[in-house]
Amino acid sequence: MVCLRITDLRPAVDPLVGTVTRDRLGVGLTPADGAALEHALRIADAWSGRVVVVCVGPESVEPVLRDVVALGVSVVRVPLGDEGDGHRYVAELVEDERALARTLVAAIAPFGRPDLVLCGDRSADRGTGAVPAYLAHELGASQALGLVSVVAESALDGAPWTLLVERRLDGGWRERLRVSLPAVCSVEGAGVRLRRASLSGALAATDPTPAAGSTGTTSAAVASAANPITAGPGSIHVGPTRPFTPRTRILAAPADPDPRVRLLELTGALVAHDPPTVLHPADASEAADLLLAFLSRHGYMDEIPGATRPSPVDGDVEIDGDGQAR
Amino acid sequence: MPEQIEFDAVVVGAGPAGASAALALARAGRSVVLVERGPFPGSKNVYGGVVYGRVLDDIVPNWWEEVPVERWVVRRSTMMMTGTQSLSVDFRSQAWGSAPYNGMTTLRCHFDAWLAGKATDAGARLVTSTVATGLIRDSAGRVVGVRTDRDGAELRAPVVIACDGVNSFLAKEAGLLPRAEASHHTLGVKEVLDLPPGAINERFGVQDHEGVDMEILGCTRGIPGGGFLYTNADTVSIGVVVSLPELAASGVRPEALIADLKAHPTIAPLLAGSTLREYGAHLIPEGGYDTMPVLAADGLLIAGDAGAMTLAAGLWLEGVNFAIGSGYAAGRAVDRALSKGDCTAKGLASYRADLEGQFVLADHKRLRKAPSLVLSERVQQRYPGLICDLAEGMFTVTNPTPKAGALALTRQVAARHGVKLRQLAGDTLRGLRIFG
Amino acid sequence: MSAVMPGAGKWDGISFAQRMATVDFRIGARAHIAVDSDICRSCTTKACVSACPANLFAPTADGGILFNYEECFECGTCYMVCNSEGAITWTYPDGGHGVVFHHG
Ligand SMILES: Cc1cc2nc3c(=O)[nH]c(=O)nc-3n(C[C@H](O)[C@H](O)[C@H](O)COP(=O)(O)OP(=O)(O)OC[C@H]3O[C@@H](n4cnc5c(N)ncnc54)[C@H](O)[C@@H]3O)c2cc1C
Ligand code: SF4
Ligand code: SF4
Repeated sequence: MVCLRITDLRPAVDPLVGTVTRDRLGVGLTPADGAALEHALRIADAWSGRVVVVCVGPESVEPVLRDVVALGVSVVRVPLGDEGDGHRYVAELVEDERALARTLVAAIAPFGRPDLVLCGDRSADRGTGAVPAYLAHELGASQALGLVSVVAESALDGAPWTLLVERRLDGGWRERLRVSLPAVCSVEGAGVRLRRASLSGALAATDPTPAAGSTGTTSAAVASAANPITAGPGSIHVGPTRPFTPRTRILAAPADPDPRVRLLELTGALVAHDPPTVLHPADASEAADLLLAFLSRHGYMDEIPGATRPSPVDGDVEIDGDGQAR
Repeated sequence: MPEQIEFDAVVVGAGPAGASAALALARAGRSVVLVERGPFPGSKNVYGGVVYGRVLDDIVPNWWEEVPVERWVVRRSTMMMTGTQSLSVDFRSQAWGSAPYNGMTTLRCHFDAWLAGKATDAGARLVTSTVATGLIRDSAGRVVGVRTDRDGAELRAPVVIACDGVNSFLAKEAGLLPRAEASHHTLGVKEVLDLPPGAINERFGVQDHEGVDMEILGCTRGIPGGGFLYTNADTVSIGVVVSLPELAASGVRPEALIADLKAHPTIAPLLAGSTLREYGAHLIPEGGYDTMPVLAADGLLIAGDAGAMTLAAGLWLEGVNFAIGSGYAAGRAVDRALSKGDCTAKGLASYRADLEGQFVLADHKRLRKAPSLVLSERVQQRYPGLICDLAEGMFTVTNPTPKAGALALTRQVAARHGVKLRQLAGDTLRGLRIFG
Repeated sequence: MSAVMPGAGKWDGISFAQRMATVDFRIGARAHIAVDSDICRSCTTKACVSACPANLFAPTADGGILFNYEECFECGTCYMVCNSEGAITWTYPDGGHGVVFHHG
């Protein structure tokens, strides 16, 4: 199952009161939701499973859903009570992520309990990223959030299916986890892009027979539902390890008795700053050298891979120091 | 070999031309697919802002009851300006403010989607987010379908209608349009500015739902072209349209021309306090009748801007109505050709005849010389100043010096602008012949 | 008319970047326009630089052109004004990508 939050990708936020205004022409999939769907399609291929997409949203999201249906997956849309006003549609649900998670779980109940739920890490319009956590709670599943890659591991005979996932940590580090099912994973909009539907898929999705009906169930072309995935005990295997903590720099607290002076010292308001350095490197490698030199001059470079490296950990978690910056 | 999906006709481009063509075919009971490269119809399209609705009367009866409209145009103003002067001819008709209406401001994302919706309601299939990348021909060179940028299949049909707009790569591929002819094109740049409806009503002297259409000459630093200003419900659209080669040669940035126009003493107060909502740009085929391509080939028709059908001659900036008229005619011509079983250029020839008989080509033919007159050096660079100075001379009170006679004044002012009276009279006559 | 100000400066108090930020671009993975900087080096007009309404053509110190495809209106101005055959390879972005006008 993939949960998509289709909304205006460039909502306008009032700088004064924080009201979010959504434009129905701006609706689309965030890169994160697109990545979630792409991961789901790949995993479903590997497991011969099927993908059900569920989305809570008003009628205005149907064009986007039609593009999703074109990929040959089943789509469930849970309509929102008042569809009249396109601008403030999900206001209430966004406020209450728990209710949203329950709604999503209820919506896919007819399809059976999902083995894997994938979501984008957060929605574009003020999302907090809490929905996947609530979903995991509702489903009693394990959770792994904010991932950059999700790969289905080929199961040895009889062994339960697992996923090998990777998540970004501070300082260019990566954390690799093995997740067993059922699980809820949320992914960043990085690494993969959603594939485009074939022409025949796109045409089938325009079939005038109701696309995503008002009760919300559509199944355009349902991929083979042959393989019900046997779920292992729901947990993320984590071996003995210590959390990754970037070193803290300790600064002395300002000592001056005058609060104003202390405040100035803390904020650095009156301190003269170096003007920005503008360089015109001739090519990319020179630019990289200049950047590295700058970083080491300012004391950022001792954390570079190889210099001081947290000792490798045993178990299923590996902290990778290759600093694959994207 | 990719899968072949068969239709009676493939229409490329869900702008007004394509939607109308698909509508005509779907109504005739033909299976038709409408291919659009944007995520929804209208998403790639920018225009000035007024659609003239007469052409819709026969196609969607009582269209005004359902069309997405911003304001009904009741005031049309043609303005000549210099840096510090302006002279407008301002026409207002309340008759335009009630059914059956003359023109309306509307935005393309709404209007194009509405018209394409008419076509899908009638049974046409709309595939969005899909680019038609090329024509498929049979061994005899006849067009029999299009390839798209989606995998796995191609669209086949006895006829393709290319409604893919000004850059029409399909018409170019078919050899009907030259690859790049800058001199027949103008660039339009537009800003949409937020302005509260109350302020629009007050500043433009209209009621709710009533709008204004302003065409402006002399605001483009001598680059052949003009400006426009249209009122929407809670925004105004302002922009300039300038000849491509001359814009390029001038080295002036297009948005700088809009900034000039917005800063003009006549325009600035109308826009005070507004903020930019969206900036955009689009080309216009502006050569008129004499530069129109051949409109039919074996298995192919072209309609709308793909066939250079915008009427853009200073006083007019109309293209949507021409696109609808030509698209609908193309759809009907294809239906007739399919019934006859002859989709060669000859079988499709009734299209051209139909267009000659109605406003689409009749207007273009009548105004064929207009582009060269309106974009000529004298009209662009000298007349706005000349006319403004003339008005200033007439209306400035000079006592105790007696008023100059009109003819003397004209001679004086014309000389100041380097125009001979003979030329002035000649151009007036030319103008009367073309426009009158 | 007001003084001629070359280049893409600040008009009405908004920068060019702010101007472009008003537009919805759904950026595709493929660069739909490619500019052959080697050809541009011998170009005398550099017409694309001032005419492109999105100001995407940046002249480089060595006489070439640096081009970014992301914030493009897909208008066609550049290939029409370009005087050197082959300098610009121009296609539409993949379906669904590229500019999306909300107030066209
Ligand atoms: C600045 C400006 C101001 C204007 N002002 C006015 C005005 O006030 N009133 C008026 O009536 N007219 C005006 N026009 C003219 C008017 O916009 C056009 O004449 C009209 O849009 C033409 O319609 P069309 O359907 O032929 O082409 P378009 O509206 O350009 O539609 C073409 C469609 O085809 C799609 N397409 C293109 N290639 C492909 C492909 N390969 N595959 C799939 N889809 C493709 C495009 O995405 C687009 O949706 C103005 C134009 C401009 C630029
Ligand atoms: S793109 Fe064309 S106009 Fe621009 S610099 Fe290159 S050759 Fe010259
Ligand atoms: S198509 Fe238009 S906006 Fe895009 S690069 Fe060319 S001139 Fe600039």
